[in-house]
Amino acid sequence: MSGDMIGGFLKIRNLRKSFGGNQVINDFSLDVTERRLQCLVGPNGAGKTTTIDLISGRQKPDSGHIWLRGDDITGLGEHEIARRGVGRKFQIPAVLKGLSVRENLEVAFSRETSALRNMFRLRAPGCDEKLAEVARTVRLTGRLDTEAGLLSHGETQWLEIGMVLMQDPEILLLDEPVAGMTENEIELTVEILNRLKKTHTIILVEHDMNFVRKIADIVTVLHMGALLAQGSLEDIEKDERVRAVYLGTEDAH
Amino acid sequence: MLDNPYHNKTLQWLAYAAVFLLIGIVPLLTDDDFLLNQLATYGVYGLLAVSISLCWGSGGILNLGQGIAFGLGAYGMAMTMQMQSQAPGTIPPFMANNALETLPIFWEPFWNTGLGIALALLVPTLFYLIFGGLMFVARVSGPFFAIMTLAILSALATVFVALQPYTNGVNGISPPTGLVIAGTKIDPYSSTAYWLVFALLLICTFTAKLLTQSRFGLVVRALKDDPERVRFLGYNVAVYETLVYALSGLMAAAAGASFAVLTQYVSPAQFEVGFSISAVIWAAIGGRGSLLWAMLGAFTVQGAQSYAGDAFLNTWILILGFSFILVVRFLPGGFAGLAELLLGRLASLRGGRREEFGQAPAKGAAK
Repeated sequence: MSGDMIGGFLKIRNLRKSFGGNQVINDFSLDVTERRLQCLVGPNGAGKTTTIDLISGRQKPDSGHIWLRGDDITGLGEHEIARRGVGRKFQIPAVLKGLSVRENLEVAFSRETSALRNMFRLRAPGCDEKLAEVARTVRLTGRLDTEAGLLSHGETQWLEIGMVLMQDPEILLLDEPVAGMTENEIELTVEILNRLKKTHTIILVEHDMNFVRKIADIVTVLHMGALLAQGSLEDIEKDERVRAVYLGTEDAH
Repeated sequence: MLDNPYHNKTLQWLAYAAVFLLIGIVPLLTDDDFLLNQLATYGVYGLLAVSISLCWGSGGILNLGQGIAFGLGAYGMAMTMQMQSQAPGTIPPFMANNALETLPIFWEPFWNTGLGIALALLVPTLFYLIFGGLMFVARVSGPFFAIMTLAILSALATVFVALQPYTNGVNGISPPTGLVIAGTKIDPYSSTAYWLVFALLLICTFTAKLLTQSRFGLVVRALKDDPERVRFLGYNVAVYETLVYALSGLMAAAAGASFAVLTQYVSPAQFEVGFSISAVIWAAIGGRGSLLWAMLGAFTVQGAQSYAGDAFLNTWILILGFSFILVVRFLPGGFAGLAELLLGRLASLRGGRREEFGQAPAKGAAK
C-alpha cells in the first residue's frame, strides 16, 4: 500500500463503515490535494458527514485506511488527529455556550495542548494578536465579552469558523458551514473561504450547489457511501450518473 | 451587556484577599481555644468545599465520594500521630487487643513523620489518578461517574470496618497525643493549629483560583460545556479531567489530614455517604462556580449546624435538605449566583445613572 501514497496530502483508501448492519461507507477512496477546496456533495444519507467523522476520528472505520501527509491516522483519537493539523466545524454549530466569545477563541488557540504545561500558563503567547485578527475576520470584535450561548445563529456559525481559524489547522473539515446564514453572511463566508484555500486544504460538505459553484476547486459526489464522480463542477453537472442520482431516476436500493 | 463587577478579575482577587484577611485576624480577637479549634474545623470543611468546587464548579465533574480522599488523608495522618506516640518496637494497643503481634507492613512507613504525612497526601491522590484515569479514558461522565465515586466510597467504608486488626474497625484510631512536627507539639486547641489550617486553606484556595485562570483552567471550563468539541481542538480531555479530579483529591486529602490533627481521631464515619453529600451541599449552597463562595457555604452550613443544629437536633438534617432543594430550584448558582445577580443589577443601575448625568462609572462592591 505504501507505494501509492507518495505525493498525496490526504489519502483515503477502501474505507468501510456500517452502523448496525447498514453499510454507510462502502469501499470509499479519495485523494485530497494540498491547498484545494474540495466539496463533498451527495443526496441525504450518502455518507458525507460520516466521511468527515471518519477523517477526524469521531468514528473508527471497520476497514480501510486514511493517511495524512503519509502518516497513517486511521483509528487515532480525535485529539491526536486534531494535533496533526485537522480542524473541524460541526454541522450543528458546536461552540462552548457557557464561555464568552473571547474564551471560545482563546481555548481554540491550541498550539500547546499539554495539560501540565498549561497549568503554569495564564496566557498563550501569540494568542491575543491572533484573536484580534480572527475576530475581525469573522466580525465578532464587538461581541468578544458576550456569552457564546447568547449569540444569534449566524454569529454562532461565525464563532465556530473563528474557532477553526484560531486552531489554524492545515486541513479544515467544514460540515455545512453556511446552514442558516443570510445571503450577506454567505457572501462573506465565500470571501473568507476563497482567501483561506490559498493557504489551507479544505474539505467542505454542502447541499447548496449555488454555494458550491462559488468556492469549489474540485467536487466529489458521494452516493450510497461510495464515490460516484469527481471533477470540476462543469464535469459533474454534465455527468449522467450524477443527474440520475440527484433527479432520483435510479432505483433506490 | 454592562460590566458586572462580579466578573472583574481584579475585584475577585480583592474579594479573596479581604475574606482571608478577615479569617486571618480571628486568633488576634479571641483567646478561646475551644472556639479556635471549632473555627479551624470549619476551615477544614471550607477546604473540602473548595476541592469540590474546583472539580464540580469548573469542570462539571460531580463527585459524591470526596470522602474517599478526605478519609484516606485523615487515616494517614492519624496513623502518623499514632506511631509518634509509640515506643520503638511496640505496636498500637488496639492491634494487640486484636491478637496482632507485629506491626503490619503497611504501617511501617508511618514511624517516619515526613513519610507518613507524604503518604497521607499522596496515597489518595494516586488513587484518584488511577481511578479517575480509568473512568475518564472510558468516557464515563456525569451521573455515571458520580455513582461510581459513591460505590468506591461505600466499598472503602466497608473495608476499613472489616479490617479491624489493622484499622481498629468502627472504633477508628485515636492517637493519644497531638502531632509533633520538628520537635514542636501542635496543640489542636491553640492558635497555632488555627494558623496552620488557615495557611493551608489560603495556599490551596489561591492556587486553585490561579489554576482556574490558567490555560489549564480554561480548557477545564470548556470541557464542562462540551468535551467532544474540546477533543477536536487537540486537547486530551481525559488527561485534563483526571488531573483536575486528582488535584481536588489532593486538597481533600490535605483537609482530611488537618481534620485528624484537629480532632485527634479518625473513624470510618469519614467514609460515610452522608458526609460526602454534605460537602457537595456546602458547595452547592455557597455556589459551586466560585471557590470562595463554596468555602463560605461550608462555613455557613456548618456554623448553622453547630448552633441551630443543637436546638433542632434531628430536624436539622431536614432543614438542611430543604434548603438544598430551595437552592437547586430557586438559586442554582447558590449565594454566588445571587451575588452575581445583585452586582449585575447594581452595575446596570449605575450604568443608567452614568448615562443620565454623564458621570464616570463607579465600580460596585467586590463580590
